Amino acid sequence: MLDDHLIGVLSNMGMISFIALSAYLVLVVGEISFGQQAFFAVSAYASGIASAMWGWPFLAAVLWGAAVAGLAGLLLAIPTLRIRGLYFAIATLAFAEMVRLALEIFTYQVEQDGELVGPNGSEGFRDIRYIYEADISAGEFLLVILALLAATLAIILWIERTRLGAILRMVGEDPVLARLQGVNVNLAKIATVAAAGLVAGIGGALYAHLNTYVEPKIFNVMLGVHGLAYGLIGGLGTAFGPLLGVALDIGVLESTRAFSGYRMIVFGGLVAVLLIVRPRGLLDEAAVYRIRRFLLRKHAGD
Amino acid sequence: MLELHSLSKHFGGVRAVDDLSLTVGQGEIFGLIGPNGSGKSTTVNLICGVFPTTSGAVVFEGQDITDAPSHRVVAAGIGRTFQNIRLFGDLTVWQNLWVAQNSVEERQTGWLTRWLGGQRRGRDYAGELLKFAGLADRANELARNLAFGEQRRLEMARALAARPKLLLLDEPAAGMNAEEVSQLATRIRALRDHGMTILLVEHVMELVMGVTDRIAVLNFGQKIAEGAPAEIRSDPAVRTAYLGTADA
Ligand SMILES: Nc1ncnc2c1ncn2[C@@H]1O[C@H](COP(=O)(O)OP(=O)(O)OP(=O)(O)O)[C@@H](O)[C@H]1O
Ligand SMILES: [Mg+2]
Repeated sequence: MLDDHLIGVLSNMGMISFIALSAYLVLVVGEISFGQQAFFAVSAYASGIASAMWGWPFLAAVLWGAAVAGLAGLLLAIPTLRIRGLYFAIATLAFAEMVRLALEIFTYQVEQDGELVGPNGSEGFRDIRYIYEADISAGEFLLVILALLAATLAIILWIERTRLGAILRMVGEDPVLARLQGVNVNLAKIATVAAAGLVAGIGGALYAHLNTYVEPKIFNVMLGVHGLAYGLIGGLGTAFGPLLGVALDIGVLESTRAFSGYRMIVFGGLVAVLLIVRPRGLLDEAAVYRIRRFLLRKHAGD
Repeated sequence: MLELHSLSKHFGGVRAVDDLSLTVGQGEIFGLIGPNGSGKSTTVNLICGVFPTTSGAVVFEGQDITDAPSHRVVAAGIGRTFQNIRLFGDLTVWQNLWVAQNSVEERQTGWLTRWLGGQRRGRDYAGELLKFAGLADRANELARNLAFGEQRRLEMARALAARPKLLLLDEPAAGMNAEEVSQLATRIRALRDHGMTILLVEHVMELVMGVTDRIAVLNFGQKIAEGAPAEIRSDPAVRTAYLGTADA
């Protein structure tokens, strides 16, 4: 079986993949968000409250957390609709910091078996013990993470092949032209940012339950920057792109401890170089197109 | 079919379109010409809701569409091309036509199939358009990989994809050779024979003179002449504006 270190690394990769996919969705519709960690945070708290304080079952708590994060996405999407580019990016950053600071003062505790449970401002939120009480091992929890990730990825990949997928790409490439093709660009953007909140939310709920403890400072801007960078490295042509980014950073650089102390420098340099030579990442639209054509041809040849 | 009432657009001090009124009749091919910077593209942009008007009104089939968002304008039945080719380069030729094509059909289908329908839905109309544009064998190519002439043809097909009643063509012949221009003229006439109304913005005179029923001439945003091609050709004001001299 897998050793503990590997299980830990894979679990981390799985959870961070949700932020990467979340940032990717926003990138697909042509905007940059530095704030997807906010949805991760909102759901970590909301799902923790549901399972640890309200006694909800785990899956219900995850879905609830994701739904609250989706609502938070809606909350961000509507006022930022009319701004784009740099201004949108800054707004997402400000939103995420607001959420983090709000969590610093958010206190909601109840007494359970003579102990106070619940978020306690900057002290954080301890004892989200569901998986220990239910006696779920780290290996089993990894399977839960991977199953939810696979389901999320499958849904996104499927949508990318539908008309909605083409619409989102149009909005990202040229919103003026998309409007002229009859697309309601505002609606597409609102829906995407909300969906991105939801996706990050799934990861946040998993994170809270695996760690049993969260505090506001975990959800700082570096988390969002990484999530964003994964899509930019891995590529924006397919939802596999951000996952490739995660695999390259955590899977190769961090886990093999290659470059050890220099990892962040290597990572930053990698992002910078890629943005210059491949602005839409390794698996960009053209690469995805060639791969798909190659696979189809091979398929037809058989 | 299309009426512009005292339409104006000012960019700072520039009066790009200045008190322009004109009427395009059903089934007509209407030419809009004028020197560089005379406000032709701006007029097209105002009709499509790309940016807001300064004053005046756009009425289409009796419906006031002044400053309506572009997707409403498309739904009302207006399609357009751009002077600088504008396509979705990262989508395939077929996908470029796919979305708009359904935006008309969407009134007849449920939202679920509308959004989440697969690639096979409604292939027929897009297929027809691709044949019309001579791109049937390029359907699965990325739009950015097309040659210049093919991109121009795809752009026309893209504008037709939402099944407009009025087509606005902004310099469709720019950069084309004589043979391509004559093919374009054939296409434009074929569209009219199918009942399409066309507003043609163009510099290439053989095309404008050859296909239009009526022409309006702009200079510094104002209409300086309107009439049949023969009248316009002999109008001294037009010659002055267009060629700088009356005797050219
Ligand atoms: N977005 C804009 N912002 C500022 N000024 C603009 C803008 N668009 C057009 N103009 C100005 O408005 C005037 C009319 O431009 P327009 O593009 O409509 O001319 P045109 O008749 O299409 O010219 P051409 O034959 O060169 O295409 C020009 O002086 C142009 O500089
Ligand atoms: Mg122009």
